[in-house]
Amino acid sequence: MKLLFAETPAPKLNLSKKLLLLNWPFLLLVTSIVLVGAGALYSVAGGALDPWASRHVVRFCFGLALLFAVAFSDMRWWLRGAYPLYLAALLLMLLVPLIGVESGGARRWLGYGEFSFQPSEMMKIALVLALARYYQWLPPEKIWRPDALVPPVLMIGLPLLLALAQPDLGTAMLFAVIGGGLLFLAGVSWFYFGAVIVGVVVALPHAWEKLHDYQRERVLTFIDPERDPLGSGYHILQSKIAIGSGGLSGKGFMQGTQAQLNFLPEKHTDFIFTMFAEEMGFIGAVALLALYLLTLFFITYMALRCRSIFARLIAAGMGLCLFTYVFINVAMVTGLVPVVGVPLPLVSYGGTSMLTMIVGLGFVLNAHVNRRVTLRREEAGALW
Amino acid sequence: MTRKPPDYARRQRHRFSRRALLVGAGQAGLFGVLGWRLHQLQILDSSDYRLLSDENRMTMQLVAPSRGAIYDRFGTVVAEDRENLRVLVLPAFCKSLSATLDALATVVPVSSATRDRVARSARRQSGYYPVLVAEGLSWRQFALLNVLAPQIPGMRTDRSAYRLYNHSRPMAHVVGYVGMAGKEEVNADPVMRLPGFRAGRAGVEKTFDRELRGTPGAIKYEVDVRGRVVRELGSRPSTKGRDIVLTIDHHLQTVAQDRIKDHRVASIVVIDVVTGGILVMASTPTYDPNDIAFKVDLEQWKELGRNPDHPMHNRAVRGQYPPGSTFKVVTALAGLSAGVIDEHETMRCPGSYAVGRKRFRCWKSHGGGIDVHQALKQSCDVYFYETAKRMGIDHLALVARELGLGQTYDCGLPGQKPGLIPDQAWKRANLFDAWYAGETVIAGIGQGFVSATPLQLAVMTARVATGRAVLPKLVMSPNDPAEPWPLLSLDPAHLEIVRSGMIAVVNEKGGTAGRSALELGDVQMAGKTGTSQVVSSRNEHKLSAYERETHALFIAFAPADAPRYAAACVVEHGGGGSRAAAPVVKDVMTELLLRDPAARPAFVSNNQDAAPSAVAAAGPVR
Repeated sequence: MKLLFAETPAPKLNLSKKLLLLNWPFLLLVTSIVLVGAGALYSVAGGALDPWASRHVVRFCFGLALLFAVAFSDMRWWLRGAYPLYLAALLLMLLVPLIGVESGGARRWLGYGEFSFQPSEMMKIALVLALARYYQWLPPEKIWRPDALVPPVLMIGLPLLLALAQPDLGTAMLFAVIGGGLLFLAGVSWFYFGAVIVGVVVALPHAWEKLHDYQRERVLTFIDPERDPLGSGYHILQSKIAIGSGGLSGKGFMQGTQAQLNFLPEKHTDFIFTMFAEEMGFIGAVALLALYLLTLFFITYMALRCRSIFARLIAAGMGLCLFTYVFINVAMVTGLVPVVGVPLPLVSYGGTSMLTMIVGLGFVLNAHVNRRVTLRREEAGALW
Repeated sequence: MTRKPPDYARRQRHRFSRRALLVGAGQAGLFGVLGWRLHQLQILDSSDYRLLSDENRMTMQLVAPSRGAIYDRFGTVVAEDRENLRVLVLPAFCKSLSATLDALATVVPVSSATRDRVARSARRQSGYYPVLVAEGLSWRQFALLNVLAPQIPGMRTDRSAYRLYNHSRPMAHVVGYVGMAGKEEVNADPVMRLPGFRAGRAGVEKTFDRELRGTPGAIKYEVDVRGRVVRELGSRPSTKGRDIVLTIDHHLQTVAQDRIKDHRVASIVVIDVVTGGILVMASTPTYDPNDIAFKVDLEQWKELGRNPDHPMHNRAVRGQYPPGSTFKVVTALAGLSAGVIDEHETMRCPGSYAVGRKRFRCWKSHGGGIDVHQALKQSCDVYFYETAKRMGIDHLALVARELGLGQTYDCGLPGQKPGLIPDQAWKRANLFDAWYAGETVIAGIGQGFVSATPLQLAVMTARVATGRAVLPKLVMSPNDPAEPWPLLSLDPAHLEIVRSGMIAVVNEKGGTAGRSALELGDVQMAGKTGTSQVVSSRNEHKLSAYERETHALFIAFAPADAPRYAAACVVEHGGGGSRAAAPVVKDVMTELLLRDPAARPAFVSNNQDAAPSAVAAAGPVR
């Protein structure tokens, strides 16, 4: 039986078959999270669809078209296009410091007139595709070899350093988590992960010695914002007060008082969870987190059902991306980790992050649709 | 028997499955941490946070910066910030807005219009933004309100500043005034929403708004549920805006304003020909910026808008007049430089001049033997008709622009008009018509399409007096390089001929401004009168008697042998230039030469910007 299955030629999928194979409950789950976001944005605007809630939904609808396009595209096409896409994203990231637009003290955008674009967002997708493509090509028996680790580490390291230079700590962290997670899932030995952790622990005190006093002060303020009560610590304290005062059942939809205090800096983007938790309370906040967790389980389940390592890694990589966003954002607004400016995916207002996330989910569904497809190594082509 | 090779791919799939489950479990675990954190914040410590949220709120109050002062060239303050005691409300902290306003009304008068305004602002913006109720309180009222503060929830008193203009009426057009920021400015910079924050609306206040404005500070307070300050958490002081030192001499400005105020509409500009500094720029009718900058007197404001003479217009840069005979200085220079006339050529003036079928009149019959010197001195139209016709309009326009006409200057005065120096290309582009010879002829005496502002005429005079490309300046900068202006591309000998003609206008028998010669011993003034016609056959029947009267113009520089000051004066519908405008310039010039401000050191403020930059876009306009 097993033998028979392996020898089955890759099933030819036409659109109607693909529609049947699509994971519809998953799509429903994603839509419900977006609608929660629209509700929160409606409340933030003081009970108005303008300016955020309506555009949020409209953007999601446009995003859905893109999601279907990605989900129903040919997976082999992406397999062949993974490296060129990655190189293009890397090149654009390199261009950012040269011709990028500065906003809020960091250079992240490439722009021409009304149109602007963040290459690091494109890189999030491209990195996952490139790593998946690499491990599809690498013979499984060679995974343990140290020299097989050099290309993927370079693939992760270059965009990570570029993101740090922008400086965009949130994105750099995301690259590290996605990259590390994919290496782990692909089967890289535990030994290497242990070595990296030990290395960092050993190197940290030495790096600390080398810093100037003012640099240390900055790092300390970053880790413990309450050292600077007039600066970033103020926002975190406000955020904690808002969340805490929500209590078990919250103050009710559109009844939040703290969010209206106006001292939450970006209450429609990065701090939207604060407002949601204040108005909906512990029950609402946990329910929203449960929705995310369910989404993540769906993704893991879909990854496990795929036959090719390429599809598996793509699905798992996008899942890692979603997880990292949600975790960092919620941990940030509850004061568990320092403020790094990461949006809450599908809920925060903002075109670019929504687009990335939707395209990412499109790839998850693409992997799911192609779950029975087996890819031969040769189909991946050479290393380059 | 061979051993089966291990199925690496299968092993990898299994490893992936194991590790994916592990990662999934890790994710669930970390979400558990978030849940634990939310539990801690929202269940365990909720009552603490609720207390913080209900009883102790933080509020941040922006502190408006003090606006920079404006000085005249010798350090007399012409605009400064004075203390202004105000009372505001924070609607979010009021139990009821109307109750708070009622309580306030026992101390300060609160009109129903004020109530409406406060209620509207409270609806439109966040309740945590203070709304102004009354300002300009007396110390008594201010102290009383502070005593009553605990009984009036949501009330806040503060000490801010208002703008005081000294010597306000003569300086009004130059200094301008401040007003509440418009909607666009508020959108660009939310600080503008601060009650009492004023932005420059006209004059130097507008052009140098960015320098004068300063940066706001902030105070963070912890306040209780009624908006009373529990304690101050920290503050960042505001930074005062930069000071501006003008090149204007306010004493002379006042003298000039007094001298022109008997005329209905008039203006005078005096500049230092060496530095380009504007010493006097007076325009009548004028207004008092104190009436509109702080507590706006609505009646006054409406009155200003209704006045047909537009008191708020700075005639020195916004009035565009046909320069009339003062333009003959340009025509003479242009003719000499084109080579169509020379110093010795004489013409006959029969009192009129024919171009085709049309006859152009001279103001009198000058007879024969008129050379360029006599033509300037007696202001003979026929001589300049012929000169203009010989060289053509394009060369005339070229020299006029070389002398600074037809352009605005980047000197810090908003609303400058460019005037007009026409040429063939201009007419084709704007009137879609060919240029006619008759139009060249009347352009030669500064009529027809030609127009200029008093400031431009003063610059033109300064350029004729020095032979250099003088540009006007309104603001002193302490480290200005004292480099002379670049030389004009005109022959110094030609300039000398024109200057001697201008000296003759005032100081020789038979000169048109002979009655306005200075009485300062051997210090002489050189000048040129102008009387420009405003009536044409087309508009004649529409105008009142006043409006039909000619404009009176006079340009002058002094001392004649070593020019230092150049002046231009225009009296709208004032009659003849020699009768209405020249005496004004004579009096101002006399005062100016006796005082000699250019020889005295200028004031330097210790809070002055090294290089103030005018925001207004100004440049040559064709």
